[in-house]
Amino acid sequence: MSLQQVVAPRSSSNGFGRRRVEREMGTRLDSKPQSGKPNTISFTNAGALNGGEVGGSESLSRDRLIYLTTCLIGHRVEVQVKNGTIFSGIFHATGAEKDFGVILKMARLIKDGSFRGQKSLFDSTSKPPSKTLIIPAKELVQIIAKGVPLSGDGLANGLQLEKRQDIMIDTLISQSHYVEVERELERWTPDEDDPQLPELENIFDGTWNRNWDQFETNEALFGVKSTFDEELYTTKLEKGPQMRDLEKEASRIAREIEGEETQDLHLAEERGFSFHEDFDIDEETRFSSVFRGLDDSGYEESEEMTFGSRNTEGFGGSSGSVISRSFSDVARGKSNDGAQVSSSSSSMDDTQSSQSNASKDLYRSSSSDHTKQLTSDSVSKSLSALNGESRLSENQFRERHGGKGYPTESAEWKTLLVGEEAHTSKSEDLQSSVNMKKAVSDKGGLSSSATAFAPSSVSSKGHENTILGESSDSTGSGKLSGATQAVNSRGRPGSSTSSTSECVGAPSASAGLGLSPSSSMGSLSSEKSSLNPNAKEFKLNPNAKSFTPSQTTLRPPSPVSEGSFYFPANMSAVPHMHGVPVGIGIAPSFGHQPVIYNPQATPMQAPQAYVQPNGPLYGQQMILGHPRQVLYMPNYPPEMPYKGREF
Amino acid sequence: MAMDSSYGDEFAVGCFLSIKTTLGDEFEGQIITFDKLSNILVLQEGSKTGPRRNIRLLKANYIKDFTLLGQAEDPLDHKKCYLDLASLQAREEAAIRQAELEAVRIGVGVTSEAQSVFDALSKTLPVHWDKTVIVVMNEVRVSSPYLPENVIGGTPAANDRVKKVLEFERKRLHARGPSQ
Repeated sequence: MSLQQVVAPRSSSNGFGRRRVEREMGTRLDSKPQSGKPNTISFTNAGALNGGEVGGSESLSRDRLIYLTTCLIGHRVEVQVKNGTIFSGIFHATGAEKDFGVILKMARLIKDGSFRGQKSLFDSTSKPPSKTLIIPAKELVQIIAKGVPLSGDGLANGLQLEKRQDIMIDTLISQSHYVEVERELERWTPDEDDPQLPELENIFDGTWNRNWDQFETNEALFGVKSTFDEELYTTKLEKGPQMRDLEKEASRIAREIEGEETQDLHLAEERGFSFHEDFDIDEETRFSSVFRGLDDSGYEESEEMTFGSRNTEGFGGSSGSVISRSFSDVARGKSNDGAQVSSSSSSMDDTQSSQSNASKDLYRSSSSDHTKQLTSDSVSKSLSALNGESRLSENQFRERHGGKGYPTESAEWKTLLVGEEAHTSKSEDLQSSVNMKKAVSDKGGLSSSATAFAPSSVSSKGHENTILGESSDSTGSGKLSGATQAVNSRGRPGSSTSSTSECVGAPSASAGLGLSPSSSMGSLSSEKSSLNPNAKEFKLNPNAKSFTPSQTTLRPPSPVSEGSFYFPANMSAVPHMHGVPVGIGIAPSFGHQPVIYNPQATPMQAPQAYVQPNGPLYGQQMILGHPRQVLYMPNYPPEMPYKGREF
Repeated sequence: MAMDSSYGDEFAVGCFLSIKTTLGDEFEGQIITFDKLSNILVLQEGSKTGPRRNIRLLKANYIKDFTLLGQAEDPLDHKKCYLDLASLQAREEAAIRQAELEAVRIGVGVTSEAQSVFDALSKTLPVHWDKTVIVVMNEVRVSSPYLPENVIGGTPAANDRVKKVLEFERKRLHARGPSQ
């Protein structure tokens, strides 16, 4: 509650403003209109305002009236006057003590009570709202206000609501003064002829064997043929004799990994572990929010990779310290060679699997998950392992990745991958491996992502871990290698060979009974041959700034289906669309700039929302959601064919 | 709290009244206060749901008839009655801003049918008024009587689009409110 001078009744034209001020101050002073003393004080302040009243019930009622009318300030009210006309406007002020005139702002005539207003309103023309409307006391009949916050907490809530209204929520945008006549709503009753009502509680049980194929239904109902072919999107599975074994091995490993304990909230949730530590976590943190506070930076620019020096918070916090510790460990060269090789190969695998998912978010979760498990030894092992040429090949991959265009994720991944520098230093290795892990983490569904982490966490246990790491790669045998290979083929035709060989090496290795480090060695050596000797080294920049996403960071919307875009061959005029910058992630060759269409529109273009001077604000989502939107991309000649994803 | 007025005890705070006004309105409400000096009766309508209430200020001389329905306690909680003037001001400013935005959407000198067409179009298309012409996407103009034939201008694609939307919205309007 602020004790400010009242400025509100400034437009009061009949000199009542001042008194109103004092009256309101009086109101403010009394929180209890019934208490006698403050009452009289306020009224003495007001001077001769209520001269005749000496306290008692009348001044009390007066106070209440004043209080209530003050509550109305800024509220939309309807005022009825003597002839039945009703005005709707924002309550601004009332008159003096005797008369009770009303001043409204932005008032509109809603109902015309006069004789000529009796004809259909439908036909009569409208008038602009009056900025200020003064209704004399003599005319006033009644004032009606809905939803007036009367008490203190109501006022506070009211302010919140006002603030929120400035944010243009959906309902505000879609609101219109024209209130449509809605249908009569009837209560839902289940159909008579539907004997089998699915239980809503177990709607998600047994989704796999529902005896309903959506594609069949679609085809039957609409004649829409599904052209989905899994092999278009992933590597063809070799259905050889080893398939069964590989699958078994894969599911075993998957089970193992999924049964692992984790510190990460979201992973724990997925795996069904209840997180006992802290019950103060709200729903959002438990189920939906992205872990922030660490490692956001590394992904945006290579220079910003400040792994060790970064200021970490939250879940990521410990990981940072662990990693910096690991750095020092590595520097001391604690690891032994044997472990190095195997862990290097496993980290290699990491790289590859991670390439299919480039998201920093999961990184955090997984890093928190796994880095905590990382002992200095294991970390140092993997770190030093990274010193090996596997590292170079990783970097090489990155280079190649970096060279081409990518979908948003890959683009991030690219920056994540440290641009074009291959680095052999330990610190860098750690970073990149962690980055790998970051990337790996996100595609939650892919078990290989969890798998990919296995090496790091598992490696703490010793050699067999690396074996597991190997097998983790083969786990996918179908999936992981497929995924990585898919990534490779998607990513760069050039580099696929080496990576493919790598991947192939792993499954074949695992196909054999034991995954031995030697097999990984073998694959590793094949890697060696295709390294780029001219690759630049990555140098960790400890002074790079940490990236914190600002509030206004535009999140590029998920790529829209291709059908939503078309370049009309001869768009002569520029349609006046909202100049909402659309960060489309599927235009790799265009660089990473947001596509702003309609630059010739009026200069009022805000990056976030385009405000028409005389129209409502449209949120970004509204534009994207409309499938038939005509998009004019002025940056590019209309005849440029839309090739879709370009890798 | 008996009021010393010609109305006697009936206008005590907390009473439930059913009132008929001289203008034909009928409503019920609970008295919050009655100010003799200005002759204004303040009622609270509806059920009490939280801090927000529906308030009616009525000049008592327009009461044609009333009945006392019952008596209850004071609807205002004294302990909670305080005002934050800053927030009131802010609220007013925000409301005025909002009203100004909305005011632009209302055509001047257009029928309410035209206004409903405008409102319907504005749900999915950017529209603004140019006197009595609805301008869509800054290039397509729809003039009175706002039928699909009156859609002029713009690229063929945009024009078609506006025509389609207009047809659809008109159909909806007629289906929903033939009495209008």
